[in-house]
Amino acid sequence: MTSATIHDARTPWFARFRADLPDRIDGLCLLALGSFMAVLARSRFYWNFLNPKFSHLTLAAGLLLCLVALPPLLLPRHGRETFGRLSRQVLLALFLALAGLAWRDAASESAPGADASAPSGSLGQQSQAEPEAPVDLNPVVDGVAYVRLNLAELYIMLDKGRKDYPQHFALRAEVMRSPRLDERGYVLLRRIAVVCCLADSLDLRFMTRGEETQTLKDGDWVEVFGHLEPIADKGEDKGLAKLAPKGEGPGLAITNPKFRIQAERLERIKNTDFPYLFEFREKPPFAW
Amino acid sequence: MDQSAFSIFAAIVSSIVLEASPFLLLGSLLSAVLAVYVGDGALARLSRRGLPAQIGVGLVAGLILPTCECGVVPVTRRLLGKGVPPGAAISFMLAAPVVNPVCLAATWVAFQGDWRMVAWRAALVMIPAAAAGWVLGATRSADLLRPSLTMAHEAGCGCGCGHDHARFGFLQGLPEVLRLTGREFLDMALFLITGALAAGAFKAFLPQSWLGLVSGNLWLAVPALMLLAVLISICSEADAFVAASLSMFPRPALLAFLALGPMLDLKLMPAFLSVFKRRPALVVITLPALTIFVLCMSLGMAGVIK
Repeated sequence: MTSATIHDARTPWFARFRADLPDRIDGLCLLALGSFMAVLARSRFYWNFLNPKFSHLTLAAGLLLCLVALPPLLLPRHGRETFGRLSRQVLLALFLALAGLAWRDAASESAPGADASAPSGSLGQQSQAEPEAPVDLNPVVDGVAYVRLNLAELYIMLDKGRKDYPQHFALRAEVMRSPRLDERGYVLLRRIAVVCCLADSLDLRFMTRGEETQTLKDGDWVEVFGHLEPIADKGEDKGLAKLAPKGEGPGLAITNPKFRIQAERLERIKNTDFPYLFEFREKPPFAW
Repeated sequence: MDQSAFSIFAAIVSSIVLEASPFLLLGSLLSAVLAVYVGDGALARLSRRGLPAQIGVGLVAGLILPTCECGVVPVTRRLLGKGVPPGAAISFMLAAPVVNPVCLAATWVAFQGDWRMVAWRAALVMIPAAAAGWVLGATRSADLLRPSLTMAHEAGCGCGCGHDHARFGFLQGLPEVLRLTGREFLDMALFLITGALAAGAFKAFLPQSWLGLVSGNLWLAVPALMLLAVLISICSEADAFVAASLSMFPRPALLAFLALGPMLDLKLMPAFLSVFKRRPALVVITLPALTIFVLCMSLGMAGVIK
């Protein structure tokens, strides 16, 4: 059937529809992906996938994808459904199903107890709903002045060989335990740092010890007030760095091999709904 | 954070595709703009220059036309279709994801203002990019590109009358730009998703402990981080931060990671194999990998980079 025949008004509508179908499916694929990106960019689960600073970029790309979907949807051109075309349409549909699954998981994990089917708020609304960051970034506890910072900020300073890290600090982290570290009286404190997206995330960890650390359970969230101590590769510290368990999450797991945290004080905190770290500052006020 | 391996897999695949899509879309848009508004002869003037000049232009074109590896293949395909000589187009394709202001600045920040890492990274990318441009410089564009994947151009027009798209005015050409952008994006999204699935499987299902086993030996560390760069397929704007965190590895291995990832990863390999014919595809896949391995090993063993 030639182009002229297909667009002839006397051609049965289903023949025209069938000839236009591949283009319309392409348009639907673009529209579905664009809509998904636009909605995700405005949802409170965006941070489960990408650094929130990219949400405007994702939103703009999603809207542009919806726009480029219009010509094939509204003004389709006839063509055959080739294997290559069909395979990319199927793969895109599979990806959208996978992404939907990931969104569902994110909804159930991000907001325990929350209704995942409830309408999503914007990132701005999310930040309003979160507890305010502590006003006092330099708390004094038992006469000791601490600096609040996040675990990634401390890790980065040490990784760069800087000596001006706070002598006494407070940071929030998730507890991870392993039998081999238990024997030596240590727990791991971890945070996942995300630069761009989950694929480049780093699961940064410190070995930590203190009077109360052995009372902690795997998965507890704590605020630790403490200081750093160097790990020497001799004596009781020999082989310590190799005892840390390897990764079991999305990020590349790295345990600091040169320093441990000596906890002076521990406070259990509520499970955070925003466990990843996206902002890292190298001088006060730290991102906390 | 207690996620099952499949949940992690789904989240990583989604995040890679969502992160790369805006840049792929931008590359597709740029490609469509070139197709619709730029005449076929406009960029072909470059072919009157000698091969060294073509390669030189290709190597630094990323500084004024920043493109990350997610969007560079459709742009290159379009440039070749518009008559840009292969020496310039191939050099641009391999160098632009690193030799651009955003990536160089990210490297500088991640390595605490260490200009040597920035300079070595740029050099280690430009050398194989120039070599690939040199090897493929004499090849005709028709011998580089697979005819089966010129769909975006052919289907974008569809009329078959052979008219010159470049004669479109801005508003007249806009629907055609949108249509071509969509087609180009879908063409490339196939390979993006395939690569993301492979990278997600690697991160979610393979143990990371092998990294620690090889970090102390240069002969193992360099190929291990090259393999890691290919497998995890992260963006050239973010990979410097990951490399900086792998401080247990020697610097030549980190540079191998930083140089190879933007030129060759699981997103790019299927795209290369589908866009280019077999020989040029093998050149753009193997030449950067071999060159970077030899250079980084040499620099490490000579003690130039410690």
